[in-house]
Amino acid sequence: METFAALAHGMAVAVQPMNLLYALVGVFLGTAVGVLPGIGPALTVALLLPVTYKLDPGGSLIMFAGIYYGGMYGGSTTAILINTPGESASMATALEGNKMAKAGRGGPALATAAIGSFVAGTLATIGLAFLAPWLVDFAVRFGPEDYFALMCVAFVTVSATFGDSPIRGLTSLFIGLTLGLVGIDKLTGQARLAFGIPELLDGVEVTTLAVGLFAVGEALYVASRRHHAEEKIEPVRGSLWMTMEDWKRSWKAWLRGTMFGFPIGALPAGGAEIPTFLSYSTERRLSKHPEEFGKGAIEGVAGPEAANNASAAGTLVPLLTLGLPTSATAAMMLAGFQQYGLNPGPLLFAERPDLVWGLIASLFIANVMLLVLNLPLVGLWVKLLAIPQPWLYAGILVFATMGTIAAKPSVVELSMLAGFGVLGFLMRRFDFPIAPVVVGLILGPIAESQLRRALAISLGDPLVLLQSPMSATLLGIALIALLAPFVLKGLDRFRASED
Amino acid sequence: MIPFHTRLFGAVVALTLAAGGPALAQQLELKIMAPAAPGGGWDQTARSMQQALVAAKIARSVQVTNVAGAGGSVGIAQFVNGAKGDGNQMMVNGFVMVGALAMNKSPVTLEQVTPIARLTEEIQVIVVPANSPIKTAQDLAAAVKADIAKVTFAGGSAGGVDHVMAALFAGTIGADAKKINYIPFSGGGESLAAILGGKVTAGISGLSEYEGQIKSGKLRALGVTSENRIAGSDIPTFKEQGIDLVLANWRSVVAPPGITPEQRKTLSDAVEKMVKSDAWKDILKQKGWDDAYLGGDAFTDFLKKETTRVTDVLKSVGLVKS
Amino acid sequence: MTDLPRGPAARRVDRAGVVIALALAALAAVLVWDSRQLPATTMYGMGPEVMPVVIAIGLGLLAIGNLIDALRGDLPPRESADPRAVLLIFGGLVLLIAIIGLGGGFILATSALFVTTSAAFGRRAILADSAIAVVMSTLIYLAFDRLLTLSLPAGPLERLL
Repeated sequence: METFAALAHGMAVAVQPMNLLYALVGVFLGTAVGVLPGIGPALTVALLLPVTYKLDPGGSLIMFAGIYYGGMYGGSTTAILINTPGESASMATALEGNKMAKAGRGGPALATAAIGSFVAGTLATIGLAFLAPWLVDFAVRFGPEDYFALMCVAFVTVSATFGDSPIRGLTSLFIGLTLGLVGIDKLTGQARLAFGIPELLDGVEVTTLAVGLFAVGEALYVASRRHHAEEKIEPVRGSLWMTMEDWKRSWKAWLRGTMFGFPIGALPAGGAEIPTFLSYSTERRLSKHPEEFGKGAIEGVAGPEAANNASAAGTLVPLLTLGLPTSATAAMMLAGFQQYGLNPGPLLFAERPDLVWGLIASLFIANVMLLVLNLPLVGLWVKLLAIPQPWLYAGILVFATMGTIAAKPSVVELSMLAGFGVLGFLMRRFDFPIAPVVVGLILGPIAESQLRRALAISLGDPLVLLQSPMSATLLGIALIALLAPFVLKGLDRFRASED
Repeated sequence: MIPFHTRLFGAVVALTLAAGGPALAQQLELKIMAPAAPGGGWDQTARSMQQALVAAKIARSVQVTNVAGAGGSVGIAQFVNGAKGDGNQMMVNGFVMVGALAMNKSPVTLEQVTPIARLTEEIQVIVVPANSPIKTAQDLAAAVKADIAKVTFAGGSAGGVDHVMAALFAGTIGADAKKINYIPFSGGGESLAAILGGKVTAGISGLSEYEGQIKSGKLRALGVTSENRIAGSDIPTFKEQGIDLVLANWRSVVAPPGITPEQRKTLSDAVEKMVKSDAWKDILKQKGWDDAYLGGDAFTDFLKKETTRVTDVLKSVGLVKS
Repeated sequence: MTDLPRGPAARRVDRAGVVIALALAALAAVLVWDSRQLPATTMYGMGPEVMPVVIAIGLGLLAIGNLIDALRGDLPPRESADPRAVLLIFGGLVLLIAIIGLGGGFILATSALFVTTSAAFGRRAILADSAIAVVMSTLIYLAFDRLLTLSLPAGPLERLL
């Protein structure tokens, strides 16, 4: 009951005309910047943070909510239309969504992403309002060893989900893990694989790797195959809207995606990658059209997209209740709070309920705005594909390098971008999946840190990994998932030789 | 009734300021480097200086550049080599850079820059979860002395201010600093979860980061590192509990090497004027930073002493090879 | 960038696959070599030198796995590639890095990349493309510099603005 009253009060704050305008401006700016290839939500929020400096805390946080959701939606738009996901969480979206766009179904792909984001965002925000206290109690009990085990599950599922051969998936993952080692070790300050180059001490930037592999690699690959006429981007045909069939196939995926996204997003260090990949593989398994996966299955957009948005709302649970930023975007949100000297935490709920509940309420508003703004604009975004191919790819490369130039205009960083571009090209050419590289880079260092923290706390006793029931269970799942494909492959061969 | 000559004096001062202010402002076109990515503490300090210097009409324009990398090691290298002798450039730095330069074996050191002034500082705190049997700093000291390996400290990155403080705590109470079981986390939030979940014995951080949880009763503050008790706070200092641990996470501003004494004076004067401006005071209040202005030779001495102290501590815990 | 023959229908040794396996093994060796340089200073738990070795072992095993696939000719078929387009874009990237590194500024650097990429995709109207590129990167530069106050590298062209 208390939650209702507080939420109603928050709504009253959020629907003031000025605040509605802030939300609208936020969603529009967020989408416009987020839609640029290579710019993910974290970078969008970072770039637009100065825009909010001049506002009062309430208005600024409300505009923030708009930028946050707008940036996420813009990222999915790019992923679908030009296969350059700005962040790893839209990678699953890119897989199916881009294939749909290439098959002339870009409109329905964008629509299912927008409506799925709306459904998931709304449900997850309700979840945020009601379950925050309970979820935090649960999440806090996770120790380093549990996180390590959770990462292991993510590694195995990710490298098994992508690509046809587990060896190729694991190879990609281990390249990512190797890149994750580069730089100063967080726990001892020792430099690894830096070869005396100061720019390498901070490690490989996720955005540089992702932009290099996806945007630059894709441009190189497409250019190299230009003489294969069938690879041209096809003009968008048919309706921009979803058919009955699309709705039927989407709604369950939206709900399932929400169910993955919100709880995992609410876990500290849960993030958006794991739920989107889990959602993707679940939809692939449950689909009545598994043959369409990899060729443009609408469930493969609807589910991960819902999971992505739900986990974004989920990351706000630890952020608002504990001050825990669990994603790059959440860290930028924290910076937004801190520019007003506000520290999110249990005390903020008690001392500034108007702010916290105003923000939660404006998440609902931002969601509605997203739908209102982006469904009519679907046509506009689809038009992006009508740009002639030479200019489109030239433009993508300019935007892709611009992100790196803006963040770190050093020769070393740009050379890494070019190098990752070549790597992305070669991996495409020799058919290695690309997503596991990025996942390895992001999760590898976290997994290593958590493992070493667990071992430091236990004074070097590895049994700590099995003493926690949570960790033991998760490690068991990871082991089974790792060995299953090899065992099954062996069985297949056995059967084949019997024929 | 105000005596006439005072009023006259006031009018003269006002006139001089009105005439001298813009004249000075027109001369100064500053560049401030934040040796970190946009958004962090150094970046915020640089941008706050930009705001205050322009608002108080001390400088005509201020441009902030970001050179991120390795705790400032990349930025300072570029600053020392690229801005040598340029009297219109400054760089923000702080406590963390001292350790980062030592650990990264940086060829450039803080001895090469021209110190201008210390600007702000933040007091550090040690906390334990509310249900911990450890009630005071002396309890913690006793636990460390009993079995140093079993007392785990959670804090920020290796070699940072939290790590240095853990080592200083152990050293001050007579334990072997090399043996502390310090577990670095990437941010206050992450370590907070480990502390609240009872995975570690104690947590170390800047006071503001844990202030909310201390007030709401989820964490117990064992002590703060200030010289005297903070006004309006009931957290005891380490000093009053008989542990001589005084430390602050400071931020300062420096100029390039090779500038003339006149150039140094111009910059020092500009910074001093900025620190006294209302615009700067408003920013401090808004961001919750403590004014810790220290200029001139006093700051030069301070910088030298802190560098020695931090490097010694990092050697003692084996992060820097002697 | 060698133009590889079309994917083998019959099972025969895939040379590119062998090269990939060797590259992975070399990467593993670099990891082990690098981890040897790290001093073992950690008092409790696991030091920074352990994980590189674990990953190197993984890479070694994967090198063997990839080698087996290559020797069996078990790799997916590949289509021919146009090395000229790839080299053009790569050249554009090198040009961009050189211009930024030498202080030529954002506009010149990204314009160079735009024109080479556009050429790689078959356009021959270099002058028209250059004009489009300069206008576009100038607008981007202004948007970042003025609206978002984020400084992009400035060169001679940027200083005229």
